[in-house]
Amino acid sequence: MAKDHRAGSKVKGDKLPAILMASDLLEGDTVFLFKDGWTRDSREARIAYDQETADAMEAEGKGAAAANAVVDPYLVPVELTEDGHPVARHFRDVMRQKGPSVHLDMGKQADFGPIA
Amino acid sequence: MYRYDEFDERFVRERVDQFRTQIARRLDGSLSEDEFKPLRLKNGLYLQLHAYMLRIAVPYGTMSGRQLRQLAKIAREYDKGYGHFTTRQNLQFNWPKLKDIPAILDLLADVEMHAIQTSGNCIRNTTADQFSGVAADESEDPRPTAELLRQWSSQHPEFVWLPRKFKIAVTGAEHDRAAIKVHDIGLKLKRNEAGEPGYEISVGGGLGRTPMIGKVIREFLPKDELLAYVEAIMRVYNAEGRRDNKFKARVKILVHETGAEEFTRRVEDEYAKLDGPTINAPQEEIERIAAYFAAPDYEDLPAESVTLDSARREDAGLDRFVEQNGFAHKQPGYIAFTVSLKPVGGVPGDMSADQMDAFADIAEKYSLGELRVTHSQNLVLPYVKKDDVPALYTELKAHGLATANAGLVTDIIACPGLDYCALATAKSIPIAQEIAKTFADDARQKEIGELPIKISGCINACGHHHVGAIGILGLEKGGRENYQITIGGDATEHASLGERLGPGIDGEDVPGAIEAIVETYLGEKQGSESFIETVRRVGADPFKTRFASFVEERSKALEAAE
Amino acid sequence: MTIISAEGERPNAYTIVETADEAKSASKPLVPLALASEIEVPAIPYGLLVPNDAPVDEIAQHFSSVDLIAVTFPAFADGRGFSLAKRLRREGFEGTLRASGPLIADQFADALACGFDEVDLPDTMANRQPVQQWLEMKDSMTVHYQTGFGEGQSILQQRLAARKEAAQ
Ligand code: SF4
Repeated sequence: MAKDHRAGSKVKGDKLPAILMASDLLEGDTVFLFKDGWTRDSREARIAYDQETADAMEAEGKGAAAANAVVDPYLVPVELTEDGHPVARHFRDVMRQKGPSVHLDMGKQADFGPIA
Repeated sequence: MYRYDEFDERFVRERVDQFRTQIARRLDGSLSEDEFKPLRLKNGLYLQLHAYMLRIAVPYGTMSGRQLRQLAKIAREYDKGYGHFTTRQNLQFNWPKLKDIPAILDLLADVEMHAIQTSGNCIRNTTADQFSGVAADESEDPRPTAELLRQWSSQHPEFVWLPRKFKIAVTGAEHDRAAIKVHDIGLKLKRNEAGEPGYEISVGGGLGRTPMIGKVIREFLPKDELLAYVEAIMRVYNAEGRRDNKFKARVKILVHETGAEEFTRRVEDEYAKLDGPTINAPQEEIERIAAYFAAPDYEDLPAESVTLDSARREDAGLDRFVEQNGFAHKQPGYIAFTVSLKPVGGVPGDMSADQMDAFADIAEKYSLGELRVTHSQNLVLPYVKKDDVPALYTELKAHGLATANAGLVTDIIACPGLDYCALATAKSIPIAQEIAKTFADDARQKEIGELPIKISGCINACGHHHVGAIGILGLEKGGRENYQITIGGDATEHASLGERLGPGIDGEDVPGAIEAIVETYLGEKQGSESFIETVRRVGADPFKTRFASFVEERSKALEAAE
Repeated sequence: MTIISAEGERPNAYTIVETADEAKSASKPLVPLALASEIEVPAIPYGLLVPNDAPVDEIAQHFSSVDLIAVTFPAFADGRGFSLAKRLRREGFEGTLRASGPLIADQFADALACGFDEVDLPDTMANRQPVQQWLEMKDSMTVHYQTGFGEGQSILQQRLAARKEAAQ
């Protein structure tokens, strides 16, 4: 596996609403910014509906990366389910949010139940 | 197989402690993520989509039962109960935690294993023919060379910050099972006219974004001059390889841009300035290493086994298994086996901890305690007595390890792709699973014959799609996963790169497209021609035509459905 | 800047100059290679600052008038300087070899093994990785396989010696 060129989330059009996703430095699993710190359950993730909030969340993510808590924080454009839970719009981010499609018994989907 | 002496042991233990310190320094902020990343990669540690991933070196694919059992233990205690064999004969764990890595490395060191240089811009795990030492067509065993290079390249002070990763492969057989022509350096063991041992050296092969076949830069290098010559190649590459664009940083681009002749001249210039004897391994050292790979104490057996022959007549499954997965052995009365990690519907290359334990026992009982990992993500039992095959087959079957599909259309190579890999642009494993299901029928597989399909989830080509008889590359197009299909690739001594059939297609259409390609082959095939032979004879055109009509049918069907 | 050698921090005597005039007035000028042919050879040896892709032959012309060569590392992951150091030593340079740039402590042992004597570290880096860390990382491995690199015998040589001893 080669380096860099992260596929990122090349979502067209409006980038909001969005959540902030990162990897936990010590454990390596996917974490989401929520009202107070980080959560592993994306249903609790803080959602930015306006640019100002999104910028503030991004800054918070950068701060956490600088403080050696998380790695690679970035904003993820989402749609909302009927229950108001965020679901990433790009398939790569969905994979991170749920867990491997070939192992439904692993990752967030196993820890927190099906995510939309 | 090779065993560590006190120096190897000390080296690996110190490396573990060094990495322990590096993790601690990352956590306290002494190292930034940008600095830590190349350091952790050089010790096999990635940060992937869901978790860290640790890639463990299996030098030239050789492993003992004891080592496999330790991997099972690690899989249970620190991962999720399984491991994944890669296309570079290594093993990956997909779920370790950073805080557990030092403990895992300690457990590895306990069985003479490590994760050194399984990633990063340095010299990677040297690979070799998985049938080394046992293949009937082998003239010389490549493993001593690979082991010498493993040691020499480990933490080489000058060559750990190369422009890009660097891969070396060695073969000593007629038939090139190590794919040396698509490596940064390919070494072919040979003898010159005087009968002296040495190497033919090619440089600049590789896959990835710009696939290229390696060029021979030295027809014959005397065997004992290897390290100095490789040092000369590495120095030219380290000094001159491009660092402005990482897609142009592999040595193949340097060879291509400077021209093979000029590149050769620079290497030879550098080589002439080196003081060879101070760099090369002394003869005693070469012999010391070679001694570990001496042939085992084979029993004197008749070439054919009455037990096996009669068992094959009784059990069609066993017969099929031997026919498909058996491999001709040097030693009369013995046979080697490919043990497929490609059950239909499974994840190519995955093995559960329970299977690892069982297979460790099997290797000890039937194969002198040794097994091999292949670059097609399968395992090999190198030393099986023909008389033992019926019992072996029964045990393999009990653990789901007797799939008789080695080299067939369901024996698909697939990189982890978007299910795990942070670099992926599309899924890879589910495509392999769907193709395998489409061709699950044994009789059909047999009719189609040898057909290596290789799938990569991005342009980095870890699934070696360019050299698949059928290659599949997953990309992102317009916010969707999209798959390009090539045919005619070959990684053997007839190395060639596949040719694209047409536009990219949706993942769900891939199995249908493969069926169309296979039908075209069966229609064009003459006599006992294999797929690749037919493609070579008739060219890609009939396949392109058939593919184009498949794409058209599909888009009509889609329109009708809307 | 902080200069770190195998023994620890050491003072710096050299000042980077940008013109031939500056070179005249500085007590120990560190002269960029591009400028080196323009300046008069001073009575006392000076330092030469070279990019990591400079041709060895070009640098070698100045060997007799310099007592230090500083090789720049534009980034820590750019390993060209290691090969350049090795080649400069092979060409016979016996003065001080300095690696200049944002190297990390984890590269110290490698730099020394390739022929460098010291590292000139920007202060931003030295703050995060103090000298003590450099010295500790330097000693984190006590064995190496490669003959011709670093101090002491390679593993290959040690094996050979052990065999000879055992045979006697
Ligand atoms: S080919 Fe791409 S997706 Fe597949 S393992 Fe390599 S880097 Fe990851």
